[in-house]
Amino acid sequence: MIGIEQIGTYIPEKKVSNLALLEKFETDEDFVRNKIGVLQRSQKEPEQKASDLCIKAFTDLQAKTTFEIEDIECCIVVTQNPDFNIPHTSAIVHGALGLPEHCASFDISLGCSGYVYALSIVTAFMQANDMKKGLIFTADPYSDIIDEDDKNTALIFGDAATVTLLDAEASLIPLGFDFGSKGAGYKGLINKDKLFMNGRAVFNFTAATVPVSINKLLDKFELDKDDIERWYFHQGSKYIVDTITKRLELDKEKVVFDMYEYGNTASSSIPILLSSGLTTFQKGQKIGLSGFGVGLSWASAIFEKM
Amino acid sequence: MSKVTDEQIIDVIGKANIVKDTSMLAKDKSLTEQGIDSLDFSGLLFSLEETFEIEIPDADIDGLQTINEIVVYVNSKCE
Repeated sequence: MIGIEQIGTYIPEKKVSNLALLEKFETDEDFVRNKIGVLQRSQKEPEQKASDLCIKAFTDLQAKTTFEIEDIECCIVVTQNPDFNIPHTSAIVHGALGLPEHCASFDISLGCSGYVYALSIVTAFMQANDMKKGLIFTADPYSDIIDEDDKNTALIFGDAATVTLLDAEASLIPLGFDFGSKGAGYKGLINKDKLFMNGRAVFNFTAATVPVSINKLLDKFELDKDDIERWYFHQGSKYIVDTITKRLELDKEKVVFDMYEYGNTASSSIPILLSSGLTTFQKGQKIGLSGFGVGLSWASAIFEKM
Repeated sequence: MSKVTDEQIIDVIGKANIVKDTSMLAKDKSLTEQGIDSLDFSGLLFSLEETFEIEIPDADIDGLQTINEIVVYVNSKCE
């Protein structure tokens, strides 16, 4: 069964402090720490592109596990901030890593729901084509599109990339997924010249939608909330993760939160958290994932350690 | 629908865990001045929409600064 084998990550060393911006945005440390949940944001160098961040994440993956590059059969990049409109960023990554010619490459254009969508798309793609090893990259360097004077976005987003190695013999496998879209609300989070976010619209969407999606999945597999060992929600902000936790009446100890030192990294937020939990799961344990945002779009999943 | 009271609005604020002690809230003073930040205010609007099954457009928000203003507004939407 195809599942998650290992995850490599890259969070740029350069950090921009939110605490240094309190006066500029007429806010205070309590708000930044306990509501936004971001004390500093990771920021790539201006010349770095999404593919450069992907390659850094791949270096981390190679340090964590051993595999032959020749064995990689698909290379997928989740991004809405590609190196170029043409070609797809996965082609650039494919070339830079020296992946074999028989390796399929394509991009997925999704934001914060992208990683969970990709897990379903790519595991199904691999299954259908009898592939054994594949890579899902996530890289959405928002620092290129953030208006540094816009309080709604300037204190939230950070740059990062991840790469997930999928393997036909992996032990963390998907039980099932739930997806959805509220396309009528697409203007809630949109990049024209710079990123614009209607915080209230995105909040309302998330608070109303994600708990329903999670409950649907639990019902489908006849599971109780307590059957889930850990919850990995997209790290939109501390306030939104707390709101989901409260509305689902989850045990706070089981909800992973960590974005204080790098910010909201869009589709990279869930795999960054998962990367540090991967080795701790015991056989039979289940975890819940949910990504939500741009679109407005969401995807939730339950995985089980076999 | 029977008239929405200030107690009901305060109850919504309490259930939303926005302030530690709702008994200290002044009904004629702006909620922002009473320590409710922008995110909590978004959460409150969401709770009001859900509780009273109404829709609050962004354009109406400026007129919803105090509990008294919210009571009048919610009643007008529930008529």
